[in-house]
Formats: sequence, C-alpha cells, structure tokens
Amino acid sequence: MAHDADVLTANGIPAAEAERYGHNLPLIDGNKTYRQVTEEVFAPTERRPPLRWWLVLAVTLSMLSLGAWAVFQTLTRGIGTWGLNRTVGWAFDITNFVFWVGIGHAGTLISAILFLFRQRWRTSINRAAEAMTLFAVMCAGTFPIIHMGRPWLAFWATPYPNTRGSLWVNFKSPLLWDVVAISTYFIISLTFWYIGLIPDLATQRDRAKTKLKRTILNIFSLGWNGSNRTWSRYETVYMLLAGLSTPLVVSVHTIVSMDFATSVIPGWHATIFPPYFVAGAVFSGFAMVLTLMIIARSVMGLEEYITTRHLEAMTKVVLATGMIVGMAYATEFFTAWYSGNPYERYVFLNRALGPYQWAYWTMVGCNVLSPQFFWFKKVRTTPWMIFILTIFVNIGMWFERFVIIVTSLHRDYLPSSWATYRPTFIEVAILIGSFGLFFTLFLVFTRVLPMIAASEVKGVLKNVEH
Amino acid sequence: MKTWKSLGERRGMVRSRKAEFEEELPVGESVRQISRRDFFRFSGLGFAAGLALGCKSKVVEKAMPYLNAREGLTPGVAQWYATTCGGCAAGCGVLARSRDGRPVKLEGNPDHPVSRGGLCAIGQAQTRGLYDEDRLRGPKLAGKAVDWTVLDADLQRRFADLRASGGAVRVLAGTILSPTLRAAAQGFLGTFKDGRLVEADTLSAAALAAAYERTHGQRMIPHYRLEEADLLVGLEADFLGTWIDPVGFTRAYAERRGPDKPRPMSKHIQVESGLSLTGSNADERVRLAPSEAVPFLEALARHLGLAVEGGALPTALAAKARGIAHELEAHRGHGLLLCGLNDPRAQELVARINHALGHEGTTVDLARPSLQKRGDDRTLEALVREMAGGKVAALVLLGCNPVYEQPAAFTSAFAKVPLRVSLALTEDESAAACTHLAPDHHWLEAWRDAEPVAGAVSLAQPLLQPLFATRDAVESFGAWAGRPVPALQALREHWKAAVFSRQKAVGDFETFWNEALQKGAAQVESGPAPRYREGRVEGAPRAARKEGYELLLYAKVGLGDGRHAHLPFLQELPDPITKATWDNYAQVSPAAAAKLGLEQGDLLRLRPEGHALELELPVVVQPGQDDRTMAVALGYGRTAGGKSGLGVGKNAYPWRTFASGFLAAEAVPLQVRRGQGRVDLACTQDHHSLEGRELVREMALAPYLRDPASARPHEQPGPSVYGEHPHGAHRWAMVIDLSACTGCSGCVVGCQVENNIPVVGRDEVRRKREMHWLRIDRYYTGSEAEPGVVHQPMLCQQCDQAPCENVCPVLATVHSEEGLNQQVYNRCVGTRYCANNCPYKVRRFNWWEYPHASELERLGFNPDVTVRSRGVMEKCSFCVQRLMEAKITAKNEGRELKDGEALPACMQSCPAQAIVFGDMQDPDSRISQVLRDPKRFLVLGELGIGPAVSYLTKIRNITPETNQGGHHGA
Repeated sequence: MAHDADVLTANGIPAAEAERYGHNLPLIDGNKTYRQVTEEVFAPTERRPPLRWWLVLAVTLSMLSLGAWAVFQTLTRGIGTWGLNRTVGWAFDITNFVFWVGIGHAGTLISAILFLFRQRWRTSINRAAEAMTLFAVMCAGTFPIIHMGRPWLAFWATPYPNTRGSLWVNFKSPLLWDVVAISTYFIISLTFWYIGLIPDLATQRDRAKTKLKRTILNIFSLGWNGSNRTWSRYETVYMLLAGLSTPLVVSVHTIVSMDFATSVIPGWHATIFPPYFVAGAVFSGFAMVLTLMIIARSVMGLEEYITTRHLEAMTKVVLATGMIVGMAYATEFFTAWYSGNPYERYVFLNRALGPYQWAYWTMVGCNVLSPQFFWFKKVRTTPWMIFILTIFVNIGMWFERFVIIVTSLHRDYLPSSWATYRPTFIEVAILIGSFGLFFTLFLVFTRVLPMIAASEVKGVLKNVEH
Repeated sequence: MKTWKSLGERRGMVRSRKAEFEEELPVGESVRQISRRDFFRFSGLGFAAGLALGCKSKVVEKAMPYLNAREGLTPGVAQWYATTCGGCAAGCGVLARSRDGRPVKLEGNPDHPVSRGGLCAIGQAQTRGLYDEDRLRGPKLAGKAVDWTVLDADLQRRFADLRASGGAVRVLAGTILSPTLRAAAQGFLGTFKDGRLVEADTLSAAALAAAYERTHGQRMIPHYRLEEADLLVGLEADFLGTWIDPVGFTRAYAERRGPDKPRPMSKHIQVESGLSLTGSNADERVRLAPSEAVPFLEALARHLGLAVEGGALPTALAAKARGIAHELEAHRGHGLLLCGLNDPRAQELVARINHALGHEGTTVDLARPSLQKRGDDRTLEALVREMAGGKVAALVLLGCNPVYEQPAAFTSAFAKVPLRVSLALTEDESAAACTHLAPDHHWLEAWRDAEPVAGAVSLAQPLLQPLFATRDAVESFGAWAGRPVPALQALREHWKAAVFSRQKAVGDFETFWNEALQKGAAQVESGPAPRYREGRVEGAPRAARKEGYELLLYAKVGLGDGRHAHLPFLQELPDPITKATWDNYAQVSPAAAAKLGLEQGDLLRLRPEGHALELELPVVVQPGQDDRTMAVALGYGRTAGGKSGLGVGKNAYPWRTFASGFLAAEAVPLQVRRGQGRVDLACTQDHHSLEGRELVREMALAPYLRDPASARPHEQPGPSVYGEHPHGAHRWAMVIDLSACTGCSGCVVGCQVENNIPVVGRDEVRRKREMHWLRIDRYYTGSEAEPGVVHQPMLCQQCDQAPCENVCPVLATVHSEEGLNQQVYNRCVGTRYCANNCPYKVRRFNWWEYPHASELERLGFNPDVTVRSRGVMEKCSFCVQRLMEAKITAKNEGRELKDGEALPACMQSCPAQAIVFGDMQDPDSRISQVLRDPKRFLVLGELGIGPAVSYLTKIRNITPETNQGGHHGA
C-alpha cells in the first residue's frame, strides 16, 4: 500500500503514522457487514436469555436481597447496627459511596472525552460503559441517603422551596455540593446515554415483533426516521452533550474529594485531593469497565466487537492513571513531612504503620504495583491477565477510600478520643448488596437494550464500502 | 388525651410564655381576627401547653394535684429548695430543682458550711435513685406485699414479746447522719431491756476514731481543714475521691491549688500503693506496697522525734520518709498528714505526728469534729459474735446492706436472728434475707436533718409526696416504739430541744427554723476540743513484706461503697483514673504486667492467702501503681437491689476480715493465677499519652512565680476564611483551671442529668458510643512507673469558626449571636459530618432510639431539654436552657443579667470551682478577668477555629530540679 502524507485513516490520523502505531488495524474484527452487526448486536435482546444468564441473575439477585435486608435493618433499627462510633463517624458507607462514584467515571470519560478526541475505538464499549456509569451512580446515590441518621428527611438536603421560612440548605457544606454534583452528573449522563441510544432504539423498534414492544420503543425512539436531517440533528446534540459532560467528569470527583479536603481533619485536609481523586476515579472506572467487558464479551460472544485492541487501549489508561495515583500517595507523605504539622505527620505514619496498615499496604499493592504489569504487551492483550489485574485495582481503589476515611478519623487531634473501627455484618452485607444491585442492573441491561452502539459501530467498519 | 385543666390556667400559661420571648406571639386578639396561619399557631400553642401540663402519670398526679394549685407555683417555672444530700454520710448541702412538683436536678448549695457549693457524681445521680423502678413499692411481710397496718401489727406483737422476754434487739446502721433519726432509733431501742444501736461503715474510718480515743480520750474524727495546709501529705487516703468528705475536702483543697489564689499554693505529697484520684493530683507521689505503709509511717514518726519502734523499710523508701519528715518539719503548724488506713496503729501514729507538729487548731480541727463516719467496727464484730451465739432476737437494718458488704460470717450469723427487719429502699441482698421489709422514704421524699461536722447543722425537706407506700424511718421507729409521730413533728421537736438551744443569735425558734429551712443549713455551737494525752503508740511495729503480691481494696469515685450500684449513671461514669466503666478489675502495674505476661483485659484469678474465695477479674495495666500491689475496687458484684448493678463486676467485700477489731484487707498476700480468656473492658479512653502534642500545658510553680508572663502561649491562631460572627448582647465563654480540676467527674454526671443524656450500657461503651457531652480526658506524662497525671475536662468548645457548622448540609448546627454553637435537633438529618469534622470529638450521635420506656424513670427528665431521638447529633449546649432561664428572669424583673446568674450545670456544682463561665463582652465579669490570665491557653487554637472554652496552664508545685521548669506538654 502506498503511503501518502495526505492520506488519513478513518481515525483522522496520517496513514503512515497509523500503521506504525497499529491504528490502521480494524476496530472490529470478523469482516462484519451492516446486517451482521445488526443481527449480532440485537440478538440478545430478542432471544430468551440462556440458563447461564438466569444463574448469574440468581446470584446477583441474592446479593441484592442480602443488601436489601441489611438496609432494612439499618432503616428500622438505626445506624447503631453499623460499627461506627463517636470517633469514626463514616467508614463503609462513604467508602462505598466514593468507590461507586469513582466507578461511574469511566463511562462518561469514554463516551464524552474520547468522542471529542475522536478516539473511534470507543464505539464498541461506550454504550456499556455509560450504562455502567449510570448503575454505579445509582449505587453510589443510595449511600448518602442510607448513611443518614434520619434518611426519611434526606430531601432536606436539597434546596427546594418550602414553607419553613428561613430554613434552607447550607451552601458552605461540601455535602450539599455533592448533592448538586452527583445529581447533575446523573442527569447529564442519563441524557447523553439516552440520546446515544435513540438510533438503536429505532432499529430495535423496527425489529420488534410484538405491538406492545413496538409502541414502547416508538415512544422512546422519539419518532426516529433515519433521515439525513435526523442524523444531522442527532449528531449536533450528541456533540453538544459530549461537550457538556466533559467538565462533569472532572467536577464530580473534584467535589467528592472536597468532602474531605475542606475539613480540618489531618489526612483529609489536603489540596492534592481534587486531581488525586479524579485520577483515582478514572483509574477505578477503567478497571471496572475492563472487568465487565472481559466477562461480557466472552459470555455474550462479542469478542469481535470488543477486541483485544480495545482492551489494550484501556489498560494503557489504567497504567497511566495508576501511576498518577501512586505519585499522589508519595506526594501526600512528602507534604505531611514537609508541612511540619505533627498531626499530619502522625496520620500518615499511622496509615503505613498503625492498626490499619494492612489496609494501607493492600491499597498500595493493588493500586501501585499491580498496574505495573501492564508495561508488558503480553499482559495488555491477554484477557484473563487483564481481568485478574483489574480485579486487584478494584479492590485497591475500594481500600484507598477506606484508608483515607478510617485512618484519618480514627486517630485525629486528641489522643483521648482515638478509637478503632470494625465493620459489622450489616455493613458488609450492604456492600455486597450494592454489587448485587450493580450487576443485576447490568445483566438486565444486556438483555433489554443493545449493549453495543450498533449505529456507531457501523460507522467504523473498515471493509464495508460506504 | 389530657389537656389544660381550666381555661384560666391555660390563659395564665400563655401569658407567662408571652413574657419570655422578645417576639410577641399572636395571642390575645379577638378570635375573629385570627387568620388560618394564626389558628394553627394558636392551636399548636394550646397543644404544647396541653402537653406540658398533661405530661404526668398517675404517680405525679398523686404527688401534686393541680386542682388547687399551690401558691407561688407556676407551671413550667422551676423552684429551688435547699436540702441535704442523702447519697452518703458526707451530708453535702444541695439545692434541688423542682419542676411542676418533681425534683429533676440536684446542685451544690453554696450556703452549706461544709460542702460550700460542690456536689459529687454520686450526689448528682440521686434523682435517678428516686425514680428507680427497682424501689420497693411498700412494706412486705415474709415476701408478700402487705399494708403498713398488717406489718406494724405483726411487728408490734413480736416487739411486745421481746419487751416482755428481754430479748436483745439491735439496730444496725451505717453512720446515721441525722440526729433526729438517731434519736428515733435510740428511742425505739430504749423501749427494750436490751436494745442497742450498732453503727458500722462500709468504708470505715473506725481506726481513725479509735486513735483519737487513745490520744485525746474521745472517740472522734477531727475535721481536717485542708485550706489551712501549706503542705499536705496523704498516705493511702483518697480524700479527694472517696475518703470521709470528698466534696468538702476538694473544695478546701482547691482553695490552695493554683498560683493566683488569695493564699500561696499548697504542696501535696501522696504516698500510696495504687494510683488514686487524690494521688493523680499530687505534686509528688511516693509508691509503696501496702505492707510498707505502716513501717513508712513509723519511719516518719521517728524522724519527727516520736519514740516508736519501726519495722524495716527499703532504703529508697526510708530516704523518702526522711525527706517528707524534713518537709513536714519545715511547715510545722501549717502542714497536715492524712491517713486512710483502717489500722489503729497507723492512725495513732498520724494523730501523734499531727499533734507533735502543732497541726491541732490549724489544720486539724478537734473543736468541730467530723461526724461523717461514726461507725465502730468493733461493735459490728461484737454483733456478729452475738448473732452467731444466737443471742440477738431482732435486728433492724437501716441504711446498710451487711449481707453484701460484710464478711461472710455476718450472713451465716444473720440467719440465726429470728426477727430480721430491713428499712432499705430496694430489695437488696440483706433485705432479701429479712422477714419484714419496712421501706424508708427516699431522702428526697423525707424530712431529715444532718450534722456532718459538729455545729454545722442542715435540714432536708421533701420535694414531693412519697411516690410509693413507703414510710419515713423516723415514723417507723416511732410507730414501733408506740409513739407514732409524723416525721416533720419529730424533726421540729428535736430541733427545738437539741439544736435551737445550741445557738444564741436567733431568739425565736420559728425564725431560726425558717431561716435554716430556706438556706438549708445553720451554724450552732459545738463542744470544747479534747486535750491531748501522751502515751505509747499501740501495737507492735510492722515489718514490710519483701516480695509477693499484695492486695489493695479501694472504692471507686463513681460507685463509692456500692450502695448506688443500681444507678446506671454511676456505672457508666468512666473511672477518673482507668477510664473504665461497668466493671471492676485487677489493677496491675506495668512492670508487674510485663513480668506476668499480662495485657489489659486478660483474666487473672486472685485469692488472698487464708481465704477460700477466688475472684476472676480482668487486668487493667495501671501506670503509677506500686509493682507489688494488685488493686481491686469494692462496690461491684451486686446480686440484688436493682437491675443496673446486677452481674457488673465481682464482689471483693468478702475478702475483708476483722483485724484486731477493724475491717481491712490491706497488705494481705495474694495468690495469683492466670485465668482463661480475655474480657473486652468498656473503657472510654484507650490512649493515654499526649503524643508530644501541646493539648495540655504544664508549668512548675517557681518559674511561673518568677515570670508569670512566661506561661503565655507563643503560637498565634491561624486566620480564617470566613469573617467574624456578629455578636449580640452577650458572648459566652468558659475557662477551666487545670490546676484546680481534680478530675472528680461530678460535672460529668451533673451534665448528664441536666441534659437528659442517655446511658448506653456496657456493650455500647465497648463500641465507643458513650453519650457524655462532657468528658474528662486523662493523660499520663513521663514514665509508666511514675507518671504525671493530667485531667482535662473536654466539652464542646463552642468555636467561633466552628468546623462543624460549615459542613452541615441542612444548617442543623448554627452559630448564635451569643457565640453559642447550637445544635438544632429537629433539623438534624444525621450525616455525622459535623462529628467527623470536630477536632475535639465532643459530638455525640444517637445511634439507636435509646429506651425511655419506664414511665417512672422518665419523671426524672429535665423538662427544659428535648429528649433526642434516633439518628440525631447532640452535644454540649453550654446549658442553653439555663442561660435562657436566667435571661427570662432578668427580663421579667426588668433588669440586666448579672454576672454569675447564668451558670451551666458543670460549673455550678464543681467542688473545686475550676470552671469560670460568663459573658466576655462584659469587661467587669469574672470571665473577662480570667481571660486576661497569662496562663490561659486554647486547645488546638492553632487551627484558627476560635474556641470559646479555654484552659489555664496546670501549675505543679514541684522543685524545678525534678522537672524542667516551663516544660510544656508531655
């Protein structure tokens, strides 16, 4: 093939460069035709799910039920059912919250930022990643509510017009910023996801066999007719929403980090938190996307859509953000030492050497050491290896939040109040339940909606004449 | 549903509410003008008024019928009555706060000549004992509830037989502080041919009284005047915690503790085996094994020129004894030696040393002796012998629980007494072994008097009609003696005859009576001081044991002798030293723990030599304790008498035996074995070091006196992002003097009662969920063997730039214009963010709906303070309800609030007067003066959060050689 500097690939990269870095390799394997793509992507939504799916659903529903029971215990009996105490007022609850918000970062990053950067490899994974984002944010959203002592009054934390005179919300409180940030993020992500779904919903509508299904899909596809004008407006809206979502990727975790950064507690009160949290969120989000995609592509037979090239691209993001996170850990120690603040110094020494050192070193091992294997191409392209490593990253990122929250609180200013925290079964059950909720929603999603953005994938098929 | 009882009453209610608030409530207009919103406001107010009036059970209705309201009684307005605490025999003066006819809070009576305004933890918890579910509801005969007439008829018949047969009748009592009650008991006993009153104290000071019998010819306990002492030497005497009169002693002690008091700071040396509360406040401590205490005293006496033989003493201790003798010599006439041992030889040595050093008349007051411990162990031992010999026909128990607290020999002998009568309030261990139960009133229901120190008489008046069918002990004795007299009449007759005549200032009895009743106390004359008699010190010299572990039995500040073990407030009060709750334990020194391979919570089996009883107790590693001492607290292991005390700890009383007529167990060698397993002790503080943090500042006296300005902290508070809060008419501030605070913890319980703070129980304390708004942090500095101890009361610091306020999403915690950090319970959604962000960790979360099921116990709640529900944060409010009350009173009287009128509960009853509170905007207020003190420092002031609570540097009267002067923190 003759290479000309003017020749650009579908990705908009000069062909010569593209070949050198492998960009000219097809994004979708198996020489698919449009019809094939349609058939393969929509098939799971039109068949009865296999037994395997039901078995997995049974497991996730059991987890969800356990969590629901634990939440019921919490709501009826009180926060006393948890292991918290006068010194450690948050632990599993807010750890889980931050963890799930972090997981929820990859979807928007993949669909919005990669869209703006014209990373066309995103097309096979963006739908599932966005769905994952929504489900993760739903999981995250439950925790600020159930962690309240009086969750039935949770609506007081929203600035709604009321008849209580001067009673209003406190705009100085990072928890209020959280409410705003998370709800905005959820609404924008949902809209973005839904807009992206419309062409595929129309396809689904057109293939629907029952009248009911057709009617429902007709409503949700907003009368899509596939005309050029429709496509043109669709793409404008999609582009605008991508632009709108991009700052949210940064803002949400920045604001979540301010729950800690604006406090006076040593170990929380740090200016590094916003970038550190955003990097961590992308890190954990991509790890979770990888974990899910590796399962989904093999279970759903989508290896030709979600190829090892996709996986490899994502592992590189994990490697990069993992190193940022590692750098942040080191910086925190340096700052604590350099500040000369005895409370700050103590908190960090206590993290590494105190009663929760097992949690700290689990975190370091999982988040700093395990991604280093991604330097090897063999690891980056072997799904089972990626799977194991991303599981480690998920564990590590959960522990990162646990370490930040619990080790900072349990030994703060006055040694007289120092205490340790142990979770109760109820708290563990709620964590399990949140995974149950997440996986149940994801499983249902894979059978109800096209998991791959068929309309977008069709745009990146190389071998098909346009 | 109950509502107001008459329209007039309701209008009265509304009017009084109207006057309390600056904003006028829309009442009083014609009904036709009332808008919809006003209607709701109005009906809400009516509902609230209805609730306020309707909140009473059948029980209270009986106590105070409102059909004909008493004169001067306004619903919702508190009334104060002066009375005398009956919690123990110290007889402190209290002011009882009564709301709508029921006492809800006890506070110290500043007019009382002995306690002078202080009240201890046990005293603070007394209202809870009044409203206790486990109280006897009425008399019982052979286990069945009966009428008083039935009980009396049965008893009269038996007593008549005994009068005829001449059988021995005994009344066994703890010290009877009330002269009227004593007279009644003696009157009753006088109707028999062989009737005798036996007084014996659980925590006995009988040897002390016996020593004065030898040295002065009169069985007495002198009144120690600690405020006169330049040098205080305490030997195994926990006089600030549990010995004789802790509140009075603390008040006097604190008068000289601090460099800026009117008189120079005293020096306090404590010689002891365990680390007592008193020892934790000493400037110098000498550790010794219990068996070394008497030889130490002998050495001290010899150095001071007394001709006594002495046992051998280790050289280091001998040197200490010489040093202390020199110091005592140097303070001749202005020193004081106190000894808490129930050992006649030790006490005689102390009495003779105090005489030889010329302390009598200055620090040792013999003209007005203490009457707080009148018990004589020898009479108890004789009683046990009599009973065992079957010679006692009837025994009446009054204010004592001998089956629980006396040696096992008592219980077996007691069974041989045919007629056993108990006047106890609850069915305790002894009452359970009695045939007749004739429950006395709670002291808050009774007319009583007290004479804690000769000449200082005080009255106790009932605050409510008796809740149950109980009967005043005075009336019971009167009835059984065949002279039934109402208690009030008996009291007045006694006062007319025996008290009024002892004074000349007031000529008319009614005036004298009314004044005494109003003030709670009066001063009358007492007898002359007895004269000293030379003599040889009784007993043989004692040799110190050289090795092996020795037992130390002691009483805890919270539980005392254990009679109030059923009061949950006291069980949950962290011990001022160990910070453990809901248990007793074996305290072991760090060196002994290392030697035995023990850690905190390990089980240890202890058995004193010669005893069959072995107790398995968890270990508490106690810095500052002697290495050969194992200390166990008394007062635990109750098996009856109230649910909160049951199964808590182990009863160590049976280990005590009569040693030459005095109950003691000190210095007994111990057999020690490892037990199986561990116990998780419910401690509120696990970490004891300051970690090098400047949370507490300390300084030696001499460098401070040279340059008081050197005490001033150097660091400047950091800047704040937010501007200053605007302040209104007042700005409240508090200063706590760490030199004065002894850590007695009276404030902790006082705060709990005032603010309806729940008791959470042992398991929840183990989970670190105690609810105390005010806690006392105790830190050790220096070495484990000989630590310095600091007590630091820690409560909401009411920060001006409060970290908690910024983070609450719903504005449930906000700043008032008087500088208070207010918690709005009904706005709180319970995110706990405020507690996390509190650097002092003083916020408390309602993890559960704490049970308030008992209608009776609910009567003890303070109606001015909301009972918080599950899921809500709470914390110290500076007793905002009391500030409001004082402001309303001032407003109603049309005047400015005076300094010292608005007092938080913790400050009011502090026996050491360590807390100053007031309006810092008033330049003349006491707080404004104290705020200028160079010793003042802020805890975590460098955070720039502007706490309104500050502390005064702890000054230790130590020579700078032993501790670097100006040395701050740990």
